[in-house]
Amino acid sequence: MKLTRVLLSSVVMSLTFAGASQAANTLIQNKGSDTLVNVAQAWAEEYQSVKPDVALAISGGGSGTGIAAMINGTVDIANSSRQMKKKELKRATDSGQKPVEHVVGYDALAVFLHMDNPMNALSFNQLGKIFGRGGEFTKWSDLGVSVPGCGSDKIVVVSRQNNSGTYAYFKKAVLKSAAKAGVIVKGSFRQGTLDMHGSKDVVDLVEKTPCAIGYSGLAYATDHLKLACIAKAEGESCVSPSVATASNRSYPIARPLFMYTNGEPQGEIKEYMDWIMSDAGQCILKDKGYAPMRDVSCP
Amino acid sequence: MSDTELIANPFLETDLNVSAKRTEKLFKILFMLMAGLLILPVLIILTTLVVKGGGMLSFDFLFTNPTNGMTEGGIFPALLGTVWLVGVALIISVPVGVAAAIYLSEYAADNWFTRSINLAIINLAGVPSIVHALFGVGAFVIFFGFGTSILAASMTLAVMTLPVVIVATRESLQAVPPAFREACWNMGATRWQTIRRVILPNSVSGILTGVILEVSRTTGETAPIMFTGAAFFIPVLPQSVFDQTMAMSLHLFVVSTQVPHVPEGLPYGVALVLIAMVLLMNSASIALRMYLRGKKKW
Repeated sequence: MKLTRVLLSSVVMSLTFAGASQAANTLIQNKGSDTLVNVAQAWAEEYQSVKPDVALAISGGGSGTGIAAMINGTVDIANSSRQMKKKELKRATDSGQKPVEHVVGYDALAVFLHMDNPMNALSFNQLGKIFGRGGEFTKWSDLGVSVPGCGSDKIVVVSRQNNSGTYAYFKKAVLKSAAKAGVIVKGSFRQGTLDMHGSKDVVDLVEKTPCAIGYSGLAYATDHLKLACIAKAEGESCVSPSVATASNRSYPIARPLFMYTNGEPQGEIKEYMDWIMSDAGQCILKDKGYAPMRDVSCP
Repeated sequence: MSDTELIANPFLETDLNVSAKRTEKLFKILFMLMAGLLILPVLIILTTLVVKGGGMLSFDFLFTNPTNGMTEGGIFPALLGTVWLVGVALIISVPVGVAAAIYLSEYAADNWFTRSINLAIINLAGVPSIVHALFGVGAFVIFFGFGTSILAASMTLAVMTLPVVIVATRESLQAVPPAFREACWNMGATRWQTIRRVILPNSVSGILTGVILEVSRTTGETAPIMFTGAAFFIPVLPQSVFDQTMAMSLHLFVVSTQVPHVPEGLPYGVALVLIAMVLLMNSASIALRMYLRGKKKW
């Protein structure tokens, strides 16, 4: 019996020890987009030194997860790499929430190729034929290249799980436009794509797979990948993804990044949102590989 | 071997004996290999973790906050968060589990009610952890309104590990010889007096084993806490059970799949600390059991 007492008291002791440590008066719940999660984390980390008595709890899970939490009323700020749909807005108002949209930055959606892939530039129509349902490109030789190390010649198409905002934006921006141009029938993804659970998984897979092509936010790009230069239409000059080309909107697949608050932000949440839009906040965003809202000079 | 030889010495091995012995040896080796194969993954995992993550370990790694986008610094909030989650889960599940096991072992008659409880325990043990997670979101986070908090996460963990506690406790209660109970009853003791003075003291080692098994299982669980109480990043330490927290298992998932530009050793370091916690707990359980078993009087 003595031993149980020792065990119990050690648990109690460790809990009280934990309770004695630092305190924050306000906790802001921030959840959603995996694209934004690392910026959100960096903001939260830095905000500790700006306002030590306000803390942020950051969770990922995807834009859909954040928006669902906004509808349930379990978050203060939802991060999303896509706009809320009308249906979602209606469900939110029905359950008594008032989501207010804030654009906090822009993200270039990069198309990744293996380092050994000789392809450099891709047009929306070509992307449509690779990623879209019914698209005619299933082999690299269909694009007129042979990829060293890719014996099967088959294009391994890497995509994201369907509650990802990156998935939704790629579908809307690239596949819908290819469908409009008539190169694929419907603007949806082909079947048999490898759907990864996070941007980093896409990057890891494409790095290791010569046959692969994938996409994700530019912030996840590494030196071991080739970033395709993207042309909106065949014959147009292509633009490489970068913070600069996303900022001046010349890169064709750059998307706004959203944060939703419940009602117009007030009090500590307003102060935090204002800080995000300030030079300090925007510089952190830029440092993480995203495009700031305006030109900021960062240290 | 001819019949005449056999008649001369009936103890000589026949061909049949020889081949039977050979098969015997073959199977023994085969089974031994299979059993030996079990050690292999453990060895590989531990060596990889120690080789790749051993360099990360330091006092600072264990006791400071993560910095620079979680690519540097330590894991203290996650470490402490896991202690909270496991501690609160224990406080909830041990009393409930032990009480339920005492009822099932000492009071329950063999009828439809008991049988349905047993069936429920077996089914509860078979529910995948992600289903528990979603149950936790629906029940504790939203319905009971605990929000994403340590309390909701720990309750989810407690529900998930209840079968472990119940089964381990029930088995150790039933390992107490019936003669102990009968002797006690014959002295005029009530059931509760018997349980309190005779049965529990004699089965505490088994109960503790179950508890520690639960601890090592809850330490590593990711899915049930991911939606119910664990956060990707939170710069402050939890103050009460209504706060959110970071946790080791989720932190490992996050640094290995979500955060870009993480140094290669970091995920291994986190995994090493996590597995060290579990191994430490398991060895404590073994030591405790040996100590308590040494004190048994039968």
